[in-house]
Amino acid sequence: MGNETQDNFEEFYREWRDEQKQQLDNLVFASNNSQPPQTDSSSLSVLVAGVVAHYERYYKTKSKCAKADVLLLLSPPWTTSLEDAFIWVGGWRPTTAFHLLYSKSGLQFVAKFEAVESGAAASPIDLGDLSSEQVHLIDTLQRRTIVEERKISEKLAKQQERVADAEMVELSHDVNELSRVEGDDTSFVTGRIKSTLKLKEEGFHKILQSADDLRLGTIKAVVDILTPMQAVHFLIAAAELQLSLRDWGREKEEREASSQAVA
Amino acid sequence: MAGMCCEVNLAETETSAPVEPSSRSARRRRMEIHQFNFVPTDSAVAPPLETRGKRKRQKFDAVVPVLQPPRKCGKAARSCEEDDEKVNNSHLPGEVEPEKKQLRLPAAETTPVSELDVARDCPKFGMTSVCGRRRDMEDAVAIHTSFAGANPNFPSGMHFFGVYDGHGCSHVATRCKDRMHEIVKDELQTGGSSSWERTMFESFLKMDKEVGDWCSGGECISACRCELQTPQCDAVGSTAVVAVVTPDKVVVSNCGDSRAVLCRNGVAIPLSVDHKPDRPDELNRIQEAGGRVIFWDGPRVLGVLAMSRAIGDNYLKPFVISEPEVTVTERTAEDECLILASDGLWDVVSNETACGVARMCLQSRKPPSPPRSPGNDMSVTVAGESSDKACSDASILLTKLALARHSTDNVSVVVVDLRKSS
Repeated sequence: MGNETQDNFEEFYREWRDEQKQQLDNLVFASNNSQPPQTDSSSLSVLVAGVVAHYERYYKTKSKCAKADVLLLLSPPWTTSLEDAFIWVGGWRPTTAFHLLYSKSGLQFVAKFEAVESGAAASPIDLGDLSSEQVHLIDTLQRRTIVEERKISEKLAKQQERVADAEMVELSHDVNELSRVEGDDTSFVTGRIKSTLKLKEEGFHKILQSADDLRLGTIKAVVDILTPMQAVHFLIAAAELQLSLRDWGREKEEREASSQAVA
Repeated sequence: MAGMCCEVNLAETETSAPVEPSSRSARRRRMEIHQFNFVPTDSAVAPPLETRGKRKRQKFDAVVPVLQPPRKCGKAARSCEEDDEKVNNSHLPGEVEPEKKQLRLPAAETTPVSELDVARDCPKFGMTSVCGRRRDMEDAVAIHTSFAGANPNFPSGMHFFGVYDGHGCSHVATRCKDRMHEIVKDELQTGGSSSWERTMFESFLKMDKEVGDWCSGGECISACRCELQTPQCDAVGSTAVVAVVTPDKVVVSNCGDSRAVLCRNGVAIPLSVDHKPDRPDELNRIQEAGGRVIFWDGPRVLGVLAMSRAIGDNYLKPFVISEPEVTVTERTAEDECLILASDGLWDVVSNETACGVARMCLQSRKPPSPPRSPGNDMSVTVAGESSDKACSDASILLTKLALARHSTDNVSVVVVDLRKSS
């Protein structure tokens, strides 16, 4: 069961990433070939909605697989150790969306001024043009997201502490006692072990689900605040970062593997 | 965004150059009317704590910043205030409360301009206050137009602007936001203080005492992350930079490293001098009180607090004091605007750049190069529009500039239009 889930999800994820690359190309193309925003904002909206739907599909599938094997998705074997270092509850930390937004917005903001100063034509609307209202909306969303993220972190802390609750300690003791008396045959407590661990997994599942809900909710909420063209830029930055992180992690692992092989 | 300000070198790359004290004093010299009044030490400040040095200034991660629910600006009321936005736990990201948009508008746009009398006296201003790249929001901003009511001495109104940047937790800053203007008002009406210096001095001391009593009383319900538990509560404080704008004066009172800068005829004139522990006079004062300034990630009082004056911070008394430095500046026809901001701005944007940006926003009927409007038509500048819009443009532009320059702190910016009959 577990293996099947893993294979299925890995395969899904591989395809999903290929689609993501394709979508990134589309987003970049759209950002480079923008007509005056009024005329093509509807087609941009369609593009943005498509990318958001793509994320939605990822989380839907992930949720389905998590029901079968939550532990797999909490520490997915297909991510690189570089990606793992940034993982929060089986995925990206929701508040990083705001840092991504502020960083990208800052770069485009500065670029705009440089362009204007050097006499170049003003660049089209991008994240450098966040309006007063948008900044206020983003700030509120950020504060709420921090609150939600902390709540989930707190829930995770509680859940992890349950590894040593009375039931677990008693069970582990009983199993050890039994093996001392009965040799290795602890088969008649297998049911108890299973049901105890099952409860733990259910706890993790709820937490993973709320973390994924927050992740997807944050993407959608940020995109809602942005204009279609700004959303294109945001989604480009998100995809570029995600894909790069993976590539860099893989390169690093490959380098290490080859140096080990040489040694 | 509206303010594409071409005349200002916004793209200047020497980021995070704090203002040189020397250039600051040079500017100060240029300004004749500008005067500093160093108020004598008040013996009423709390005695030194025996625990000094034991406690570090603590950072608490676990809980949420406290933000008061937004207050509505009554149409009939003569005062208007813009509060921090409430963190509403019951709402998931993505949900936007229906009234949110309205509350979200910059303060300027909620000013009851419908009353012509008030409108005439009401200064134009804009405000932006964001969490930025920090995980805790500890800045608070208070704006109260005509805050002292009908004062016979100031029949045409006085306006209050305060920026508070908390440390340790948010509750002292929040308390300052809620109370400072009321304390100043009381002091003006009943205190009988002979001068602005005295009035503001007394007000800051009262504010500080109130914060101290409030914490030790422990009776209040606070949603801040320290939950007002001692001893953590003692390790909490806030900067305070307060500007009272009267028809002919700008009175700036400051404690800590938030800053007020006047833009006069294109020149940036600081109306407050940051209280850093290594400022020679502050260093002397601290040492004479028996304290030490230790370099630990910059100069810090007892190696803990990176500013030498603040509201709160009981445990660092008497080295960290709450006496403000007060400047009283006569307004002139050349005054353009006043900028109050937390160090989230000043750490990465110089006084001069900030003034240049603000000035540009105020002056531009239409910016020289065509910045197209972003989605929310916020930037469409029409001839004759209220410059409140310009002030909020200035505050938002400065905030964005601070974020673009990687400010890692909360950023709060208030811009007040000081142009007469503009």
